[in-house]
Amino acid sequence: MDITAWSAVSPYGLDRSCFADGIRSGRAAMVWADPAGPASARACLVPGFDQREALGRKGTKGMDRLTGFAVHAVAKAGAHRGPDTAVVLGTTTGSVKSVADFTRASMTGERPFDVDPVRIPSVVMNTPAGHSAIWHGITGPNATIASGRASGLLGLSYARRLLRTGRARRVLCGAAEEYSTARSWLSHGALLGEGAAVLRLEAEGARGALATVLGLGFGLDSVPAVARSALRQAGIVAEDVWAVVPGTRAERDELAGMFGACVLDRVSPVDELIGDTGAVSAVFQIAAALVVSVNQPASRVALVTTADPMGTTAAAVLVLHGTGEP
Amino acid sequence: MRRRVVITGLGVFSSIGTGAAEFAAALRAGVSGRAPLTAFDTTGYAHSYGCPVRSFDPARWLRRVRPSELGRAAAMSASAARMATDDAGLIAADLRAVRCHVCVGTTEGGAFELDQLTSSWLEDGPERMDPALARRVPAQSLSVAVARELDLTDAEISTIGTACSAGNYAIGDGFDAIATGEAEFALCGGADAIARKTFTIFYRLGLIAPDHCRPFDSGRQGILTGEGAGIVLLESLDSALARGARVYAELLGYGLNCDAYHPTAPNREGIARCMELAMRDAGVKPEEIDLIAAHGTGTRVNDITEAQAIRDVYGSRVPPVVGLKSMLGHAMGAASALGVIACALAITGRFIPPTINHRQTDPECAIDCVPNAAVDADLRVVQNNGFAFAGNNSVVLLGRS
Repeated sequence: MDITAWSAVSPYGLDRSCFADGIRSGRAAMVWADPAGPASARACLVPGFDQREALGRKGTKGMDRLTGFAVHAVAKAGAHRGPDTAVVLGTTTGSVKSVADFTRASMTGERPFDVDPVRIPSVVMNTPAGHSAIWHGITGPNATIASGRASGLLGLSYARRLLRTGRARRVLCGAAEEYSTARSWLSHGALLGEGAAVLRLEAEGARGALATVLGLGFGLDSVPAVARSALRQAGIVAEDVWAVVPGTRAERDELAGMFGACVLDRVSPVDELIGDTGAVSAVFQIAAALVVSVNQPASRVALVTTADPMGTTAAAVLVLHGTGEP
Repeated sequence: MRRRVVITGLGVFSSIGTGAAEFAAALRAGVSGRAPLTAFDTTGYAHSYGCPVRSFDPARWLRRVRPSELGRAAAMSASAARMATDDAGLIAADLRAVRCHVCVGTTEGGAFELDQLTSSWLEDGPERMDPALARRVPAQSLSVAVARELDLTDAEISTIGTACSAGNYAIGDGFDAIATGEAEFALCGGADAIARKTFTIFYRLGLIAPDHCRPFDSGRQGILTGEGAGIVLLESLDSALARGARVYAELLGYGLNCDAYHPTAPNREGIARCMELAMRDAGVKPEEIDLIAAHGTGTRVNDITEAQAIRDVYGSRVPPVVGLKSMLGHAMGAASALGVIACALAITGRFIPPTINHRQTDPECAIDCVPNAAVDADLRVVQNNGFAFAGNNSVVLLGRS
């Protein structure tokens, strides 16, 4: 399976080049302290994003920030109208803010059903994917992978099955996550990030491929185990890995027995630069690997890992073709 | 060459029964799962019937995971997976010896727990919210709980959040994982717990029935929100034959598509196309299909749109179309998974479950909904429809093995 395009709406800015510049320079995105959040609440926000500005006023009434990110990132990854394209987007709990506001309105309103009907789509998890399809006229399979930080790599596997079985010819696969005070309270003051990233995936041998996904590994609780399983599927030995892109420092430490420091530190630690972006984290990690591979010799191998706080672990082995815009 | 995939284990928690045998008996008897809702304070709603799962005790089912660590939907999901594994005559060690696929569909994940957190925020401020409760909110807990209960560490473990068609989505994904040889066993289906949020969405949209859910009836007034979990154990036909397993039904194929039309309203063309995709995938023709388990929510717009789409695809020869939600309520992410299980049991038990609470079929629907009483039938191929907000359609086809 090939990656033929990607997009990123991130705390570095609204497009791919902002993300690429940020990752290449290793510069941390601006951190904002949320006065309404827990004492230590800090967040890296997507600067200057307004869904009505980015997408126009038509059709954006009631649209939450999360869905705005998704629709925007799907467009930038190359939305194709029609039945041959699938949309696969990851999430943790959808728009926590919208759900909390909705339920609060039900609990405090004069009547328990005094809630704003325009906001109803925002409280259902499949809205970012569904709305992206509506916005761009994409009528193929439309899936929401609600698996937290593991969603990005689980989405790759889901997409690979869609391509293998002929259910889609291309898959726009990624995730979206928004910052909100409500999310920060549920995350106990961790540095949070937000945004969306989408990869365009096609069957292997696609024209203009930026990278090829060779192996995916999944499991529970152990990062080295899924790394080994992904490498085995890819037919790659650990010594041939050029860059490891772990999701967190804890994952990096778990992998220290398998890889040298120079391989583990080839790509800047994305979560430390833009915060914990939840379901988008692994997609941003892949995007970071793509950024760093540009103008490198072809056939560099990257290993991307992820571990969700609930225990799911996943790894992807990609061969990077060294192509793409610098 | 894709492998043939069969269902060999069933795990069921529903408003009309627990476990395959009780569920099958209730479907045949046309039992109603309706009861007054007690999961949240219903003061101020003019009506508040639903279809809750009564007397669910996870401690009876879970052997590895402590029930106190799980939210209600995750506890039902893990319990149903344990039940499906037992029902298939397998032990956890059998699953651990090979690659497995776990995929659970849901609309709401831990919405029941998020309701409680919101309430605690309102009463005592956000700093007093219980962190243990917060950990039960994310939807991935529904699939992770399955993996932990069966100690599956070499497995792909995902939760699919495509709202009310999520059960069919998850079972379709399990089908592909087995058919392509990625996994040897799959535990997949759907789970959801009744929550204030879900009920309020449908209430605000004017879609909650005041008394009964009556799909395809002229006097239908909407849905009753329900809950439950339905998990199936899937394996290749060869694997089932080799170990002499009882086979409930074969999964023949499925279809997925998106209306790309409206955030909440269904679309006739999109639904018709999804049924055609499923038939093409399964290699069956409309005239071979003996029964449709409809999405059949009992809302005006769903039932008419769905019936029209069925006629578009089936022409003048429409098989019986039943609305299981008349009995089960709308169990959200579990709904189409319970539908697949009902279809498998109907094939095995040679009967068509009825559409209960029925008085008069809406002429605009004009289908035979098998009103009020089950009928005996020799079913070879059965279709299970699942549709969702955002136009996320999924149709699964099952056959006698």
